[in-house]
Amino acid sequence: MTPPVIKAMSDIAVRLTVSPAPHWRSGRTVRKMMQAHLLALVPAALMSVYMFGFPALTTMALAGAAAVLTEVLCLKLQERDVDVDNFSALYVGLLFAFLLPATAPWWLAVIGAAIAIVFGRTVFGGFGCNPIGAPLVAWALCRMSWPSAMDIDMNLAHFAMNEPLYQLKHFGLQSLSQFDYKELFLGRQLGGLGASQVAGLLVGGVYLLAAKWIRWYIPAAFLLGVVAASSIFWTIDSTVYANPLFHLLTGSTMLGAFFLATDTSSSPVGKLPQLLFGLIAGVMVVVIRVYGMYPDGVPFAIMVASLLSPLLDRVRPKPFGGR
Amino acid sequence: MLKIHYSLESDLQNGITDIAAPEALSIQVRNLVLKTAKRKKVVRGEVIAEHPAKFGGAHHAACAGTVSDVDYHHLAIKCSGEEEGVEPVDVKSLAPGLEMLRALQGLGIDCAVLSSPADILVINGLNPEPGISVVEQLLKDERETLEAGLELARKLIRPEKVILAEAKGDTFSLAGVENRYIKPKYPNSLDALVVRKITGKEFPSDTKVMSVMDLYDLGRVAMTGLPVTDTVMTIGDRNYRVPLGTPIRHILSTLGMEAKSGDTVVLGGSFRGEAVYSLDEGVKKGDHALFAIGSHVFPAVQDATCINCGECVLNCPGRIMPNLISRYAEYEMFEMAEKYGLNSCFECGLCAFSCTARRPLLQYIRFAKAQLKASRQSEQSQGL
Repeated sequence: MTPPVIKAMSDIAVRLTVSPAPHWRSGRTVRKMMQAHLLALVPAALMSVYMFGFPALTTMALAGAAAVLTEVLCLKLQERDVDVDNFSALYVGLLFAFLLPATAPWWLAVIGAAIAIVFGRTVFGGFGCNPIGAPLVAWALCRMSWPSAMDIDMNLAHFAMNEPLYQLKHFGLQSLSQFDYKELFLGRQLGGLGASQVAGLLVGGVYLLAAKWIRWYIPAAFLLGVVAASSIFWTIDSTVYANPLFHLLTGSTMLGAFFLATDTSSSPVGKLPQLLFGLIAGVMVVVIRVYGMYPDGVPFAIMVASLLSPLLDRVRPKPFGGR
Repeated sequence: MLKIHYSLESDLQNGITDIAAPEALSIQVRNLVLKTAKRKKVVRGEVIAEHPAKFGGAHHAACAGTVSDVDYHHLAIKCSGEEEGVEPVDVKSLAPGLEMLRALQGLGIDCAVLSSPADILVINGLNPEPGISVVEQLLKDERETLEAGLELARKLIRPEKVILAEAKGDTFSLAGVENRYIKPKYPNSLDALVVRKITGKEFPSDTKVMSVMDLYDLGRVAMTGLPVTDTVMTIGDRNYRVPLGTPIRHILSTLGMEAKSGDTVVLGGSFRGEAVYSLDEGVKKGDHALFAIGSHVFPAVQDATCINCGECVLNCPGRIMPNLISRYAEYEMFEMAEKYGLNSCFECGLCAFSCTARRPLLQYIRFAKAQLKASRQSEQSQGL
């Protein structure tokens, strides 16, 4: 950062700060924003440790640490200021961990977090410049490269339950009778270690909304998209397709709505574009779950919508007085 | 602790207090045509510089004295304390038209708005920014002067309708003027938004806006025949009449205020004002507030990259995209900045106010506008 220019004037006893208008500012900073986001992850993280035990903690710690260290290395190599104290790298690492099975191999957590930083952010210019959410890039790369290490059911085979969306994909609607919605809501289901903690994520998401760190446009439109699309399928044939509530409570729907889709740089900026973005991502989730080969469509759905966001940003009102 | 608020309401207990003339004046003369020189004697109200623009108002000495220093930027006058002043000009008796306009210009009034007729004249009677109460103070205490100014403005603009826009809850009125009420919340006080509220149109060509301050200056010139040599400013929660060119140091010491190293001292409002370099800088025409902020009240502006959070776009009353405009301005692609609505910006400052990455968005916008204007002027003068 360039140091402030001090203009020599006759008076040197009082050196005033000269800064551009506006002289009042809202006080928002990247650091405060990321701190709030990390705080919002805490309920889900705690519930995850309660549910999956110690491995959940080590996976989060490994991914977080690897992300921060990789970011330091990348910034050093680029000869930029090391600003990991704004917590954005830690946040990316944790979000990536939230998508992993709790007992994922240690190397997967480390390599994945490093991929998130390098291929998710640094190659595009660092924090704030990535066209696609960094944790999603890492998730997709790992999912393609090491499918068995990323597989939820295989990793968590010692739990006497199943991943709801795998069951739906492979065994059809009848197999879902083993799930109780209340249990699903409270996070007693298999899934990504944080992504499965629906109640905790909802608490965190509502906190972010209430503290005005995110706006309601994307989360609301995303959830509406999921509900609307799944309702259509469910109305068509309720013996083949799962009901909307099931889609809301399983996979990474909540994590996607409040944390993944609201990523600042990969989402559009205007109100209408944000609503459209959320809606498209939400509908894509259900489309992928119904027709795609991946049981949980959330990461890919948000990635697809992110690719559209520069286009969506062209949907904007005419400027003031414009014709 | 400073509280950020958008409210434009003011609670006026007192009248306008005069600030005593200082021993020396410091007047900004950058880009002006000097009409005096070093060591020349001036009397109160004498023209010291003219504005190069077609309808720009002249600048006058606020006290009698000797010009002690001139450089490209400043002109200093050592006041003698003598009461000697210029002869008044009877503006009201002149024929409305070019003659009157030239006389007003010579008395320090910027005549751009008065120079052509319009169907609707809107008097913007809202305090311009949070923390400034000059407008309501003038409406409360100086009705007679404002009406004299309005009479002159009517002669020149010949509007079919004059509308006073004022804050909901206010009961001020001017003779023969229709009242309209607007919610007193920033940025509703900006001219473009006031006009839209009243006419329902954005940047209509048949409507002109005058601020109460401009009307007041006009009224004073009409009544006294003397040039504009002072301005009314809100400092703290009171209003003061300050001679133009008064160094900020003099105001602070008169009012028992203090500015420490590292503080930001601002002439004008909290959203749109201008930070000064030195306490020796003088008050200019059009400055209606003075305040200081400590260095640690707000996180400092940064030369950081945009993180695309969209707060500037979502907060913009002009529906433009400050995120993209600032990026284009950063890389000197000013024509591209225009494509994203640069010319629709009325500089409220809400984009930079809410920027998470703390980018100086308003500065980039003003920079892009200034650069475009300069390059177009030079193109014209070269006949390209």
